Amino acid sequence: MREILHMLVVLSLICATSGAVLVNLKQATKSQIEQQVLTYVQGPALLSVLENRDNDPIKERVTIKDITVFPAMKDGELVGIALESFAPGYSGDIGVMVGFDVKKDELLGIGITTQTETPGLGTRIMADSFTGKFKSHGLESMQVTAKGGDIDSIAGATYSSVGTVDAVRKAIEVYQSIKPEINLIWKKS
Amino acid sequence: MSRLVKEFAKGLWDELPPFRVLLGLCPTLAVTSTAENGLGMGLAVIFVLTMSNLIISTIRKIIPAKVRIACFIVITASLVVTVELLMQAYAYPLYQKLGIFVPLIVVNCLILGRAEAFASKNGIVLSIADALGMGIGFTASLTFLGAVREILGNGTVFGTQVMWSSFEPAAFMVMAPGAFVGLGVILAGMNAFNRYNSRRKGETPPDVMNSSCAHCGACGAAGGGIENLKDK
Repeated sequence: MREILHMLVVLSLICATSGAVLVNLKQATKSQIEQQVLTYVQGPALLSVLENRDNDPIKERVTIKDITVFPAMKDGELVGIALESFAPGYSGDIGVMVGFDVKKDELLGIGITTQTETPGLGTRIMADSFTGKFKSHGLESMQVTAKGGDIDSIAGATYSSVGTVDAVRKAIEVYQSIKPEINLIWKKS
Repeated sequence: MSRLVKEFAKGLWDELPPFRVLLGLCPTLAVTSTAENGLGMGLAVIFVLTMSNLIISTIRKIIPAKVRIACFIVITASLVVTVELLMQAYAYPLYQKLGIFVPLIVVNCLILGRAEAFASKNGIVLSIADALGMGIGFTASLTFLGAVREILGNGTVFGTQVMWSSFEPAAFMVMAPGAFVGLGVILAGMNAFNRYNSRRKGETPPDVMNSSCAHCGACGAAGGGIENLKDK
């Protein structure tokens, strides 16, 4: 009996201490990890869609209705924003960073942030030849050609192409729904 | 003092973890596609191993013998999560490369092996010396294997071109089979070297790859091979 109690107490104490240490560490590193994920996962795509700017979109990010919005400023004026959206591709969700030109109301461009598509086939959605099709695209008719839109899907990677286009369309819907807030925040800054 | 040096030095050659006692082979084979990955994994292991040896040898007298493995695992797992969080916070590109193999340090036999065979029986200072020796040996081995694979498979070391420009890299070496081939050749080379060395000194060559536990001493089978264990 004594032995069992001893085992229980020691093991519980070790577990409790470990738990306490880890909780504190998790909280202490949370903001730093968030920053790192933004820099290394979203960062490359983000910086490629918001090219014409003179600020740091990651540092100046704003959360509107649970959506993280990255602003691109030029001479103190808002020129574009970017936001990330997801849609299912061939295997798993495709994450797309979509940049919007706030003045002309068109797409600045897109960049793929996360994807688990088939290497060599679906992964071609990351190539410039595909993402380039979204550059300066209007907010309307965001569909693949097979469904009446004007984005040619990649041969052999229909699901991946449709997934990307779906994600972009979602981002457009989000953009239009938060547009009043965006104008409010950056009206005169 | 000489004991301290001996415990430290044994991990560097005589009991070199991946190549002599063949512990911790999962990361050895899996992450050594480049020298940089091997080094990163090795540093993570040095941290976990030193901390776990330190903690376990500190509290070795209050850990009940019957639940000692569970205690070791809890301590190791906490340390590994610590490394994972710190790596995510301060070395995210390395974390992206090592991926799933960081959490898998928990089940690295090397760490549990040193806890069970050494830290739970020896004092704090000796345990740290043991951990540092083993950890540095492990890191050096992984970096070496990684460098060999990177040179043959990619023509680079730590990302710098070292081979002549017309060198045709064998992509085979940076893929999974290359790890096995690389490890096997290194093991053979080390055995050949040790035999040559002991013959030169006039000793009988060690029977390196027999399956007995004669020269390990970690458990009850020590000294008499597997037969000894059967009697118990």
